[in-house]
Amino acid sequence: MRLERQDRFHELEPLLGKVLHPARYLDHEWGAIEQQDGPFHVCMIYADTYEVGQPNLGIAILYNALNAAEGISCERAYLPWTDMSALMRERGVPLLSLESSSPVASFDIVGFTLAHEMVATNIVETLDLAGIAVRASDRDEDDPIIIAGGPSAWNCEPLVPMFDAVLLGDGEEEIVDVARCVRDARAEGASREEILMRLSQIESIYVPSLYDVVVNEGSTRWGYAVPKEGTGAPDIVYKRCIPSLADTEPVAQRMVPYMGIVQDRFAIEVLRGCARGCRFCQAGMTYRPVRERPAEQVIEAVEEGLAMTGYDECSLSSLSTTDHSQCAQILTALNEKARKSGVRVSIPSQRLDSFGVDMASAVSGARRGGLTFAPEAGTQRLRDVINKNVTEEDLERAARNAFEHGWRRMKLYYMMGLPTETDEDIMAITDTARRVLEIGREVCGRVRKGKNGVSVTISVAVFVPKCYTPFQWVGQLQRDEVRRRQQLLLTSNKDRDIHISYHDSDVSVIEGALSKMGRAGFDVVLGAWRNGCRFDAWSSEFSYEGWIEAGKALGYDLEEIATESFDLDARLPWDHTSPGVSKGYLKREWRRAIAGVTTPDCTMTSCTGCGVCPTLGVDNQIAGDRHVG
Amino acid sequence: MSGKPPIGRPDLNRLRVMFRKDGRLAYLGHLEVINTIERSVRRAKLPFSVGNGFAQRMRIQFSQALPVGAASRAEYVDVYLTDRIDAKEAFERFAESSPSALAPVDAAYVQSRMPALEAWLTRSLWQVRLLGTGDDFSASHLDESLEALRGVGHIDFMRGDKPRTIGLDTTLVSWDVADGATEGGFSAIDMRLETRSSNLGALRPAVLMEAAFKRGELGGSVLDSLRVERMGQWHEGEDGSLIDPMAAELRI
Repeated sequence: MRLERQDRFHELEPLLGKVLHPARYLDHEWGAIEQQDGPFHVCMIYADTYEVGQPNLGIAILYNALNAAEGISCERAYLPWTDMSALMRERGVPLLSLESSSPVASFDIVGFTLAHEMVATNIVETLDLAGIAVRASDRDEDDPIIIAGGPSAWNCEPLVPMFDAVLLGDGEEEIVDVARCVRDARAEGASREEILMRLSQIESIYVPSLYDVVVNEGSTRWGYAVPKEGTGAPDIVYKRCIPSLADTEPVAQRMVPYMGIVQDRFAIEVLRGCARGCRFCQAGMTYRPVRERPAEQVIEAVEEGLAMTGYDECSLSSLSTTDHSQCAQILTALNEKARKSGVRVSIPSQRLDSFGVDMASAVSGARRGGLTFAPEAGTQRLRDVINKNVTEEDLERAARNAFEHGWRRMKLYYMMGLPTETDEDIMAITDTARRVLEIGREVCGRVRKGKNGVSVTISVAVFVPKCYTPFQWVGQLQRDEVRRRQQLLLTSNKDRDIHISYHDSDVSVIEGALSKMGRAGFDVVLGAWRNGCRFDAWSSEFSYEGWIEAGKALGYDLEEIATESFDLDARLPWDHTSPGVSKGYLKREWRRAIAGVTTPDCTMTSCTGCGVCPTLGVDNQIAGDRHVG
Repeated sequence: MSGKPPIGRPDLNRLRVMFRKDGRLAYLGHLEVINTIERSVRRAKLPFSVGNGFAQRMRIQFSQALPVGAASRAEYVDVYLTDRIDAKEAFERFAESSPSALAPVDAAYVQSRMPALEAWLTRSLWQVRLLGTGDDFSASHLDESLEALRGVGHIDFMRGDKPRTIGLDTTLVSWDVADGATEGGFSAIDMRLETRSSNLGALRPAVLMEAAFKRGELGGSVLDSLRVERMGQWHEGEDGSLIDPMAAELRI
């Protein structure tokens, strides 16, 4: 039932003194748009706590785009922590938006960011707390239209029973199209069914209820989606793609939170997309092509953003910032401006070569904390399988360069459970760490432990195969085998200056299952939520049993689902929602992976035939000349 | 976090800003207030001084932490500026760059050779509204309970999961209580409370009230919530006189 739009902060306020971190619920941040006159109202939700959701650049971009559109207002909401949601339910207070403290169930459109798979039960919880029917099919005519989009939308099937529409690809233009379509249709008195039909005719908008799931011998057990007859919905919905990042608003993040948030700094998107072609990386495949924001625009926008927000740190954000063809130019200019005002510039990760270290050097000024590299796999053979185009020499040169520049702590990211991985690949991780440590001791002096401060930390994630990657057909490594290899890694290390940490294999099983399942998987999500699962991305809250039991009750073994491999020719549950990368290319890449053959980056050499540019009518947009490692 | 006091740096200008904290922002914690004010200073483009330390922090000092949920009419911050811009102009720029619920009330340059605000401001006046239920929930019972507590001389309480003790001999200066008009179905008590802090600690109104309501005098009552507002802060001189942090004799 659509609730009345009215300010209900007075119902929330008495609860603020009784919960942890009341600043999560305050609103009125510097830069928040308080004027919310509408008359058409959208609420964007990141279904996690405020401090996790507020730094999300995607929501900031959509918030600005919607609020800039004539007659449309956009507010935000986050999922209250369990202490607050319990009190709200006890006192009959529904989930409220931040800006106007109106019930989320009073909005015209409610949008969710699909930031990762483990957000699933939080979306159920958010809808339930808002008093909105969890299943789209149970909603009334005048209920809000519930939409979703974001990096994890490529296999959205296990979640789509909750959504009226899913937006694929770059959101800044399509979300305004969606809002206008719903607004106009409502104004004409169109039925909910008619509104959804109209949405399905917009480029890059997937309306799940207009598709049937067919399971047959040519599919996996989860089937594939086909448009219902007579709906006119497209067989394949392709993503929206902004041709040029330079044409978008560079200063997206205008809001300054009161509480400490996970990335508490001004962030600017310096490029979108990455064509390095790492075969495990979903973002690398789904955000193509590469579009750089020109250096002058970045520099100007950082200056404007810092003045507007008062932040003392800015982050140059992207999938691979040091690949920006004008990276050095940008950093030099920003450091020059920042030096006098105590402003820090940071980049999220370093390229694994000397250029990466030079760039890290340029951003850090006098600061020399830890430096992070991601070799991802222990041996050259396995790095070739995953197309991580770095060599042992690259890593050693980069490490030497970093130690010589004054760094003492090195962090190395790896994955475990990659296709074709053997014990030898695992043992090689420690060998590499030992070599890096040796280089550090050689450069910094071989003194007794603790004196030179040289150390190496290895962080090992469990590889989860994702759709629209060359590894999408692969089954995940069994949980017991992951644990055996983790133990193998631990026992292979004897040096106290090498620290090893690894991810929880239980969480990876659930993430793997959610990445593989089709629409029928939603019943598992709902069952897990009924079993009390919330905030699954928080290790303190995650309940493996809650998920496993939910699967069992429906006759599913979630570990079996996660570890199942798919036939290369099978129709896949996500074939109808495409980022533009062709299946032929992914199959080719899979075969090259098995053969250990690498594929170059098309922004540094020539086209590698992924299919994105011709399918979407776009092209790489490189501002200068790319620096080959 | 704020920088260390720039002792021996008479070249810097110590701009003292009095500000309020009210409305929703009463629920900000001290660290959140510090971050917000520092960002307001940056947005105002005040010529703030940056420390020489590793972290390059702004040179800024705050008065004592206000509890989460407490409003205030009189919080103070000293910002050290490299240029002496007109205090009125600094005030206006600061006001334009601040959230309205953390807005400045006054600003003036003060003597640079004075102790840091946090240690120097030792006296606070609080206005507290208590909402609760029960037959014993009254100003007279609260008064009796506070008298008895003063007799005990200290309060044992928990901060998070850590046990703490605060002495009342010096920290609890005086109080006045009166029954207030009922609010939202709750009975109300209004209290004016004066406290004194030292390097041994500061007495928080919520800690005092929690202890008072644990005692027998208020046994037949339930405290539902507190509304706390700091009305003023002063330095207490050796002769017991109270010095206003914005007093004319401190301004330069």
